[in-house]
Amino acid sequence: MTQQEGVAQQEGVAQSESVIERPEVSAPEPWSFPEPQWSAMANGLGVVSYDIPGQYVISVRLAVPMPLEREPREREGIATIMARTLDEGTARHTAEEFAELLERKGIALGAGVSESGLIVDLDVPKRNLTEALDLLSQAVREPAFPANEVSRHVKVRLAEIDQERAQPGQRAAIEFIATYFDPDERASRPTAGTKTTVSAITPQDLVAFHAANVVPSGATIVVAGDLSDLDVVSEVERALGSWSEAPAEVLEPREAARATDAARIVFLDRPGSVQTEFYVGCPGPDRGVEGWAAYPVLGFVVGGSPNARVDAVLREDKGFTYGIRSGFRPRRRGGMFLTSGSVRADATVEALGLLLDILDKAREGFTEEETRAGVDFIGKTAPGRYATADAVAEEAAVLSLEGLTTEFTTANLRALADVDAAALSTAYDRFVTGEWTVIVVGDASLYAEGVGGLRRGEVTVIPA
Amino acid sequence: MPLDYQIAEHTLDNGLRVIVSEDHSVPNVTVDLWVNVGSRHEVEGRTGFAHLFEHLMFQGSRNVASGEHFSALMAAGGRLNATTWFDRTNYFETMPRGAMELALWMEADRHGHLLDAVNQENLDNQRDVVKEEKRQRYDNVPYGNALIDVYAAIFPKDHPYHHATIGSMEDLDAASVQDVHEFFRRYYGPNNTVLTLVGDLTPDEGFAAAERYFGPLGPTAAASRGPVAPLAPLSEPQRIEHHEDVPSDRLYVAFRLPVDDCAEFFASSLAMDIIGGLATSRLYQRLARREQIANGVSAHAMGFVDGVSLGFISIDVADGCSAEDVETAACEELVRFAAEGPTEIEMESVLAQTERGWLSSLASQEERADHICHHATLQGDSGYINTFLDRLGEVTAAQVQQAAARWLRPESRAVLAYLKQEGDAS
Repeated sequence: MTQQEGVAQQEGVAQSESVIERPEVSAPEPWSFPEPQWSAMANGLGVVSYDIPGQYVISVRLAVPMPLEREPREREGIATIMARTLDEGTARHTAEEFAELLERKGIALGAGVSESGLIVDLDVPKRNLTEALDLLSQAVREPAFPANEVSRHVKVRLAEIDQERAQPGQRAAIEFIATYFDPDERASRPTAGTKTTVSAITPQDLVAFHAANVVPSGATIVVAGDLSDLDVVSEVERALGSWSEAPAEVLEPREAARATDAARIVFLDRPGSVQTEFYVGCPGPDRGVEGWAAYPVLGFVVGGSPNARVDAVLREDKGFTYGIRSGFRPRRRGGMFLTSGSVRADATVEALGLLLDILDKAREGFTEEETRAGVDFIGKTAPGRYATADAVAEEAAVLSLEGLTTEFTTANLRALADVDAAALSTAYDRFVTGEWTVIVVGDASLYAEGVGGLRRGEVTVIPA
Repeated sequence: MPLDYQIAEHTLDNGLRVIVSEDHSVPNVTVDLWVNVGSRHEVEGRTGFAHLFEHLMFQGSRNVASGEHFSALMAAGGRLNATTWFDRTNYFETMPRGAMELALWMEADRHGHLLDAVNQENLDNQRDVVKEEKRQRYDNVPYGNALIDVYAAIFPKDHPYHHATIGSMEDLDAASVQDVHEFFRRYYGPNNTVLTLVGDLTPDEGFAAAERYFGPLGPTAAASRGPVAPLAPLSEPQRIEHHEDVPSDRLYVAFRLPVDDCAEFFASSLAMDIIGGLATSRLYQRLARREQIANGVSAHAMGFVDGVSLGFISIDVADGCSAEDVETAACEELVRFAAEGPTEIEMESVLAQTERGWLSSLASQEERADHICHHATLQGDSGYINTFLDRLGEVTAAQVQQAAARWLRPESRAVLAYLKQEGDAS
């Protein structure tokens, strides 16, 4: 130890002449979110395009509002199975033919589902955009849902459920929604369905669900990339202009109710775990809240970096974790404040106590310094976070399902100027009341009793 | 036709290679440093050290406090991290243009004067953090140690790629402050580093800034060793079986591949994609779509510099189906492909998908900087990003077939099988 310090000291002396002054940081150049071009087609499909020079792969997103509540209770997961089988056989092509048509043109086509709707995503080199939009149109309008492909995807989803349950982080997330939300809420159950509901899905179900829900009215197509010499509206019109289906039933969004006994600790017993996974949450706002701009800043200050409040203690001081992250997750109505990550097994009890203390203590307020750091991080990283066609298209598509445009993103970046320490405190206090839903995945025989001893809520132990 | 990203290069007197790629589309600059040291340089008893060392680079240096690298750069609008891999270690941040100089100053401070701040306390703390990283990513998840076993099966003991970058718990425990000093003195220095700046600056501005902050550092790194001797494909199959509480049976079928950055590696990588990587790959079509004995198939080729690379195919066996049948079918397809070679449509598909993937990965400044720095450091070629697709396009179907016939034969495979424990309810 002494010898090692000596070595360091020597080097310090030897090179001390080369002192270079720490440079000042100058203010960033003005920047604004890329400006969209808007139009609407006669069938009700909105067309939004972003010309981003130098982005040679064009990113397309077709966002179709489709609240999960439209799934029949006994067929939950049908929206996900539908998304996964849109291109597995169409009116004109078998599944294998369709895959080959995509690959020969360098097209990546995928689709996924959130609580708000379906997003079909397409990436393609610019010169093949016309063919790509034609194939997207066939997948969206003419899926055949062949029986062998549907049964295959059902089996794949069943295996995926087993995989999710074996991963401690995903296991925690599944238990979290089951504990947090009222059991009557769709939100309390996995988006992609359970074994019982997925097993029941038939091709006929998919045909009916698709016909009722995948319609142009209210949907938005986003095209982002280097659009020079491209007429985006004509391209979209050619592919999707003749798409006409009756509008789907509109469900007024409402906030999913929290379970009456949500504020408690569920310990999932996973014997032999060398780490313990935490998933901690309480209510948060949706994007419609006044002063939304404060919430991404709060996520950063509380748990967004190795020096944020959580990891400053649990990682950099204690060495209990590789990293724990916090963030506010807006839903269509209402939202959640979530913190998750894993710690060394034998630190389970101390780490959970510290974590809940840090989250609670934040209600006492934030310093101007950490507020400034958070505001600057969120604001000044925006040009890089939204530099690619992919990121811009994704942002626009996700917001469109909430009835918003990227003007929301721009307005929030502007509103950061007014976020000070007092605003952060007000924003945090408005939702964080200390009534935590806590999921712990670890070895219950060793640590459940200690967790109970923290007196942070009733502990229920169940097998993982 | 080559891509035309601007590339300018200049070497400082101390050996630091500086590459600037001017791009004013966003008012940012990515600062990317690649140090030519990775887990391939680790010695017995010190596996995992290059990565542990990388963590210590965030714990302060002569003029920077512990943790300040993250806090100061993030507060200035930076997004940053570092990674360690077999061949190299890299440190990177994307900053608003007006904070680029702060980033360079902080990088030069730690790349030149780290040892002033290294002590037992921060070594112990980051050792704990790294051990949690290992537990989270490898030890506490099903199949988590799969690739560690694959490396050990494919590469002989004492070979640079025999052990994984994450290392072993015992070796992490054994690391000392003295090791940190020796490692830094041997491997860190401008003469073993490449600095790439991509974004809102001119080459002259970039070279001047590099000179200002890195110019005073001496060429302290020891001369690097040459590459180790090439390895031939495995001469007989290797097999490891784990009977564990996993959700479903899974096979990893791995091969040695040629060293990176040559036509034969490109050909073997295209063969891997056609056999197992594309949505229309031979294995996906047969095992997943037609016979439905697998739920998923993926294939990866990892290019390395030390005489050999790695390719592996991962197959999730469908519930109620036999892993043995899946492996037999996969071997039949390998034999068939080596005999037939790719079809015209397969070549067209794999080149089209590779092109899109490559262009997508060049879409952001940070990934572009990473590619530039990668090939400048490991292959010496700072212009790789512009020529890669043309070089790939020159690979013929016959070369793909030959690469498969030499490297992807069933008798040269190493198989790691995870088999669900008997009597384990799903």
